[in-house]
Formats: sequence, structure tokens, C-alpha cells
Amino acid sequence: MLDRDGGLLRGTLDLLILKALAWGPRHGYAIADWVHGITGGDLLVEEGPLYTALHRLERNGWLTGEWGYSENNRKAKYYRLSRTGRQQLRAEVALWERYARAVGKAIAAASPEVGAPASA
Amino acid sequence: MRRAFRIPFVRTPRRKLMREVSDELQFHLDTRVERLVALGWKPDAARREALRQFGDIESVRDDCVALDIERERTARWTDLIADLLRDIRQAVHALRKAPGWTAIAILTLALGIGANTAIFSVVHRLLLAPLPYPEGNRIVMLSVGQGDDVRFPTVAVLRVIQSRARSIETVAAVSVAALAVQEDDGQDTVHAYITPNYLKMLGIAPAFGRSFTPAEERGEGAPVAMISYSRWQHEFGSRANAIGSSVDITFDRREGPERRRYTIIGVTPPLMALPMSSGSFNHNLHEAKPGVWLPLEFPGWSPTAEPNSYARLRPGVSVAQAKKELQNIIDTSPELGAKRPTIRLLRAQDMLDPSETHMIEVLFAAVGVLLLIACANVANLLMSRAWTRRREFAVRAALGAGHARLARQVLTESMLLALPGGLLGIALAWQTVRIITALRPPALANLDAVHLESTVLLWSAAISILTGVLFGTLPALFAARGSVGNVLRSETPGGSGSIATRRVRSALIVFEIALSIVLLVGAGLLVRSFVAMQSAPLGFEPLGFEPRGMVSFDMLFNPSTTPRNLRAGLRNLVVDQLRAVPGVTDVAIGMIPAAGYGALTSLSTDPDPSGVERSVPEFSTIFAGPNYFRVAGISLIEGRYPDSLSAPAQSGPSTAPIEVVVNRGLASRFWPSGGALGARLHESNGQDFRQEYTVAGIAGDVHVPGERQIARSAVLYRPPMPFGVSVIVRTATPSAALLPALRKAITSIQPTPYIQTTTIGEDFIRDALAPTRFAMALMAAFAAVALVLAVVGLYGVISYGVRQRTREIGVRMALGAEPTAVARLVIGSGLRLAIAGVAIGAVGALAATRALSGMLFAVSAVDPMTFVVTTLVVAAVALLASYLPARRALRVDPADALRPD
Repeated sequence: MLDRDGGLLRGTLDLLILKALAWGPRHGYAIADWVHGITGGDLLVEEGPLYTALHRLERNGWLTGEWGYSENNRKAKYYRLSRTGRQQLRAEVALWERYARAVGKAIAAASPEVGAPASA
Repeated sequence: MRRAFRIPFVRTPRRKLMREVSDELQFHLDTRVERLVALGWKPDAARREALRQFGDIESVRDDCVALDIERERTARWTDLIADLLRDIRQAVHALRKAPGWTAIAILTLALGIGANTAIFSVVHRLLLAPLPYPEGNRIVMLSVGQGDDVRFPTVAVLRVIQSRARSIETVAAVSVAALAVQEDDGQDTVHAYITPNYLKMLGIAPAFGRSFTPAEERGEGAPVAMISYSRWQHEFGSRANAIGSSVDITFDRREGPERRRYTIIGVTPPLMALPMSSGSFNHNLHEAKPGVWLPLEFPGWSPTAEPNSYARLRPGVSVAQAKKELQNIIDTSPELGAKRPTIRLLRAQDMLDPSETHMIEVLFAAVGVLLLIACANVANLLMSRAWTRRREFAVRAALGAGHARLARQVLTESMLLALPGGLLGIALAWQTVRIITALRPPALANLDAVHLESTVLLWSAAISILTGVLFGTLPALFAARGSVGNVLRSETPGGSGSIATRRVRSALIVFEIALSIVLLVGAGLLVRSFVAMQSAPLGFEPLGFEPRGMVSFDMLFNPSTTPRNLRAGLRNLVVDQLRAVPGVTDVAIGMIPAAGYGALTSLSTDPDPSGVERSVPEFSTIFAGPNYFRVAGISLIEGRYPDSLSAPAQSGPSTAPIEVVVNRGLASRFWPSGGALGARLHESNGQDFRQEYTVAGIAGDVHVPGERQIARSAVLYRPPMPFGVSVIVRTATPSAALLPALRKAITSIQPTPYIQTTTIGEDFIRDALAPTRFAMALMAAFAAVALVLAVVGLYGVISYGVRQRTREIGVRMALGAEPTAVARLVIGSGLRLAIAGVAIGAVGALAATRALSGMLFAVSAVDPMTFVVTTLVVAAVALLASYLPARRALRVDPADALRPD
């Protein structure tokens, strides 16, 4: 599970970022805050991987960057989902849910045998 | 919030990107510091802690910048493509609003490019007839001597060149032996010796089988031969069993027939020939091309022999460079002894008639003028349309479209015209060339290698497209420059355009009219020549002999069945038998004029008092008997018919000089100040043959139209040599009908001579004229295209100008002017332009058509009728173009005319 995103699977960070922006544009700090908050403190996003990911997603065309002013009147770069970004978000969510279901099945196994009463 | 701003197409400097990323990360740090301070941290400590938490901020920044750079690049491309597509869409939309105009513009471009290229390519190929060999412009013919003493180099010189010259890729020689060769079945009787590399020099490969090995070239081993393509087709049906078969050649030697058997090892391709012998006059060799090719290395020839020699230059070497090197080699080679001849290298185009080069120049000029007309048409079309859209452009400029943007859009429109026009033009050229080639007369069978002359194509395309782009873009930009208010307001009643535009357009119209007149007069003259030519199938120039009602047969004796001592009598028998055929008025021994043999000898005078010898390497020999000149219709200018022409034929070179007749061309070449009669000549092949002559008479020149003049400058009429007999037969009835009877008369003689060639006089001349006639037809087609372009263009441009004055007309009428007065005004200005254009054009035509005089038949270069008719036609078009739209405008309700368009 160790990778550059520091504790998160690479794709997961992307998914979290995209989801964070689902309700409107945010700057990087706010995204990190949101993830921290919504997961009840369980997930902590590291700065390095976060900004690298943001720029990568922007290069891929899923995010668009805009400069604006923050609540405390500082110049900040805001990111917003593009049309393709929304599509990507939906796709990633579906993928994640499928992944979670699959892993869940494995974890819920009652016996070491495959092909037990329930069909695959 | 402001969207991240990026100037399109401009690369954001890396510095800026770095600054942005730094700002972004800095914000993060600052916010973190804020939070920490709010929690009670000291600012310094907070800052240190924030940095520590972040980690390696430098490398994060670098990574982000790298990603941003990538993003930039992609976005630039996307922008570019998106803009381009939008431009194209808009351009298409704009063009579709005026479909007729667009069609005319594209067609004009296509015609200008396509017709031009096609016709030029074909005529160029016809007249210039460049060598059809791969990179044939590297092939040169070698000759030595200067001034009047010109020969082929000796074998000694060739050997030296072959071993030392670096600028020459291949040097090769050919010696065609048309004398005294006979096949068993008399199929063809001409064989030739070629040095190694002859095929390589031409740049061709055997069509089948192989060429000679070095051993075979040296004459070692069994005798081998290659056969010609046509012989392969006729005798072997193009089948593989030709290889390994043998061919028997019986040499007609003085001592008696000698027969040799050669094994066939290969087949030469159809292109195999003497590349540029002025032996194109040698129609025996030309028609019955060598059927058998035998190998002969240079050592096999005597060092003083002078075969036809050619060389292929190395790529990138110019003729001047090669000549310099070869001359150097000749001057410094010890093998050559004291004789250091001056060498010359001749390319195919160097052997062109001056009149042919002239024709090419005229053709170039015509093509240029046609292109100019097409471009003038297109320019006018574009300018007119730009004028119509001037308000559109001004408004858009006012609304903020940058000049660059507008320019780009107009450019796209112009390209959307130019590209289809150009492509259509190329397709048109291609197809036209194919059609022309398919329609060619049978005499021009070798016209299949016509390709589009890329130079003309490229120039035509480049110029047309450039015109389109220039005249499409510039006027629009000018229009956009004016302030919106002015333009919108400028719908002044007189408004047909600013003074400048009107002047330019008028000038262009006058220019077009003048140009049209020049081109059309020229075209008209050519068309009239063509028509005249059609009615005179034998051409107009004096031929020097009478081809109508003449048939000639060239025959050879079979050496195996016809010993030499019988041949003189046999000859006379042939003449008698033919004379007896009903319908024949006269028969003489001799070949059809202008078609003599070109032997591999040179003809020279004896040294004159100052030791100067004059010689000529290629000349035509006609073996003539008694009455030849009378039957052929050739006039005798000086002297007399020599007695020897009435005497029995010699059986070999005679020791006493033979009396001969030469043509005027040869006489003036060898003895320019007179004294030809009684002078001495000798003919030799540098080896074993030498014959002395005395000039007894001078005959008039014979001229076959369309062929190279160089060839016919030297003709020798002498008694027949023993290997065969040629006769000319004069018939009272059309010759073709008599052919069967004539043939029967010949074959009834025993032993039968073989008929090698049969020629009907009229056909001979008509075929010689075929290229010229075809070229004329093409020029006529060219003229038609020019006419269409000129008329359509002229009409379009003038009528458009008049339509622009609709408002002016409306205003005048609203102010109470009489329709007729207004009409007179409009037509009057059109007339003024027409008169100006016609005057300039007529003067220009008078000057220009002088260049055509060499090409015209039965029509003078200043033929008044052509001038008058052309002027009337053009003036009529101009007037109509002024009148018709004006009439339409007059009928329009003035109120409508006044409404802004």
C-alpha cells in the first residue's frame, strides 16, 4: 500500500480530489481539509502528492485552474471540475465501488474453498 | 474570479509558470502558518513547522511546473486546431453564399493551371523530344574537330577516355552495319556492333535474357548476339525459347558469302536505338532498326575506326566540366601521338533546329500569357467580392476582431479556393494529357512517354495560388482598416467604391482587355495556320522533289543465291520488269529522296592549299542510277549527271575516282566560295574502306518538313554499291493501288531480291508532318481555352463593375435622369475602357505576333482579318458586359436601388 501518495493508493487520491470538487471549485488547502474532515480524520492527504495530483489532473483536462481570492483575501488557485472531469469522477466512483464489492466478497469468505454454495 | 489567462499560440514562459506554482504553494504554506499561529504557535516556529510538514517543496514545485508545461503544449495544439476548424467552417459558409462566384473562381484557377500544363507538356515533348532514356539529359554524343571538319572520335581516343575519364560514367559506341547482311528468311537485315556498356550508357536493361559478359565482348567463346524487341515479338512470339536459339547471318563479302551462326542470349528493350543520331534522316535504319546486336570491344576495332560514340555523364557533372576534363586527357595522353583533336560533347537539345527552340519560346510565352489572364480574372473576382464585403469586414473589425484574425479568416477563404482550384487543375492536366495521348495520330506512336512537365505545373500552381491569396487578403484588410463610421456612412450615392479601388479595377480591366487581344490574336493566327495546313497535307514549303505518285522499294540481294557478277544485270532486270507494269510512267534506280543511307564513314575534301581538310561525319548517301534526278523530280543546279551513273555498277571500291553529284548544301559547306565542280572528295571509315570521288554536278536541296535540318545538309548521289538495289517508281494512278502488281513484278525475278522497305511518297511526307500538325491542333485547343477564359473573365469583371453602380443609377433616375442618358453614361465608361484596352492590346499584338511568324502557314503575322475580328469580338464582349447589367439596373425601381444592400 505504500506508494508516492503516501499511504493512499494512487487512484484513490485522484478520486478523492475529484469528489471534493463535485460541489464547486476549491483550492488545494481546502481539498485537503475536506478529505480530512469528511473521513473523520482517518485520511490525511500529504501536500506534495496533493499538488502534484492537482496539476496532473489539470494536465489531463479533468480540472481547470482559475486564480481567485480566498476568504482571507489571499491570491489562490482554485480548481474546478471540467465536463470530462465529471465523467471521470463518475467512472472512478463506479470503479471504486466495484473494487470494494470484490474485496468485500473475499473478506466475507466463510471457508477457504472457492465455489461454496453461493455461485460466483 | 479570473480564468487562468493564456495568450493563444504564445508559449507561456517557464518563469511565469514557475511563479504561478510558487504562488500556489506559498498560499498553502501561508494558510497553514495562519492556522498554526491561531493555535498558539509563534510565527517563526509556525513557518518552520509548515515547511517541515510540506516536505520537499522544491521538487514538488518542479514536478508541478513540468506538468504545467505539458498542459500548455497540449492546450496550444487544441486551440490551434479548434481555430483552424472554425475558420474553415466560416470560410465554407461564406463561400457557399456565393456559389456561382466560387465556382467560377475555382474553375478559372483550374483551367489556368491545368490546361496550361497539359498542352505545354505535350507540345514540349513533341517538339523537343527529349531522350526517353532514364536521365537522358546526361547522355551526350561525342565528336571531334571544329568548324567544318567534324567527325566521330577514333577508337584510340575512346579507349583513352574510357580508361581515364572520371566525369564520364560510361562511354560506348555503336556501329551499324546495314551493308551486305542477309538473314536466311530475309526478315531483317540490319545488325549493329555495340561496345560493352552500351545498354548501360542508355540506362536500360535487357528486356529478357542477359547482356554480354566481358569474355563475350572480347570475342572469346562461341559467337553470341542479342536480338531486338520487335524481332523477338515477330519471330518468337515473345517467348522464352528465343534464348538459346540461334540466328544465322550471311555476310555479303567481296570474296563471297560468309555465313555465321550466333546464339541468342538476350533481348534488347524497345527503347534500344541510337540515341540521337541525326540518322533520323536515315529512315532505313530508323524504320528497320537493327534486329541483331553483336558485341565488340574497343580492341576489336581498329584504332582509327570512327564509330558513333556516346557517353553518359556522371550525376552532377556539367557538360562544360566534362569537356574540360576530356580535352585535358586528350592533350596529355601519350598514346594519341601527335594528333590532338578538339572534343565536343553534344546533348539532344544542342542538336535542335533553331526553329524548334523558337517554337518552345513561343509556347512559353503563350503559356505565360494564359496564366496572366487567368490570374487577372481571379484577382478581379476576388477584389470585387472583397469590395462587396467591405462593410462586413469593417464592422467585424470594429467589434474587436483583430486584424490578424480577419486576415487569417480571409486567408482561409482564399486557400479554400486555391487548393481545390490547384488540385482540380492538376487532375485536369493529367486527364488532358492522357486524352491527348490517346488521340495522337499513328505516326506519333512514340508519344506515350509524355509526363506533366513539373516545372510548368509548379509555376502555374504557385502563381495562381499566390494571386488568389494576395488578391483575396489584401483588399479585405484595406477595407477593415477604414473606420466603421466612415464605411457605414460611405454609402454615398455615388458610391461605387473609393477612388483608389475604382482606379485599380479600371486599370485591371484595361489590362485584361489588352492581354486578351494579344493572346487571342496569336491564337487566331495559329488556328488559321492549322486550318490552312489541313488543306495542304504536303505542307507548304518546297520539298525539292515530287513525292506524289511515287513509290520506292529498297531491296537486298541474297548473297547465298546471287553472286556478285550477276547483280548489275539483275538490277536492270528489276527496272525493266517494273516499267512493264501498267500504270507506271517511269522507273529509276535510287532511293526515295531525303532517305539515304548513313554509313559509318566520313566524307572529306582533300587538303586545300593551306592544308585544311573539310569533313562531315554524318551525311546521306543516295545510290542512284540513270534518270534518277528526272524521275525523282530533283533539279540539277550546276554541272551534269555523271556518266558513271549510267555505267554498270562497280563491284567494289574503284581505284579511279567515281563521278558523283552532291547537293547544294554540301557544296556550299565544303566549297563556300565555289569551285565545287571537279573538286575531289573521299569517303573512308578509318579502317579498310576508302573511295575517291569527283564532283560532276550539284543538285538542289531536298527538304522533308519537320525533320532536323542538320541531317540533310550533306547528300551524296553516287552509283549503287553491290549489296542491293533501290528503285523509285513513278505512277500515273495512285500508287497504293498499284502495290500488289509492283510487288509481283519484283518477286517474279529469279533469284528474288528481298524487299526491305516499301515507301509511298505522300505517306512519307504526311508522316513527317504529323508532329507539326498535331502540335498545331493542340495550339488550336489552347486558343479555345484562352478564348473561353478571356471572354468569361472579361464579361464577369465588367458586368460586376456595372452592377456595383446600381445605386448610382438609382439615384440618378430618382433625380430625374432619363434612362437612356444614364445607360449612355454607363455604357460610355465601359466603352472608354474597351477602347483603351483594345488600343494597347493591338499595339502589343503587333509586336508580339512577330515572334510567331516562324510557325505560321499561309498566314502573315500581321494578318489584318485576324486583328479586326479579334478586336471586334473583344469589344463586343466588353460592350455587352456593360450594357446588359446596366439594362437590368435601369429597370429596377429607384427606391430599391437606393436601399442599402
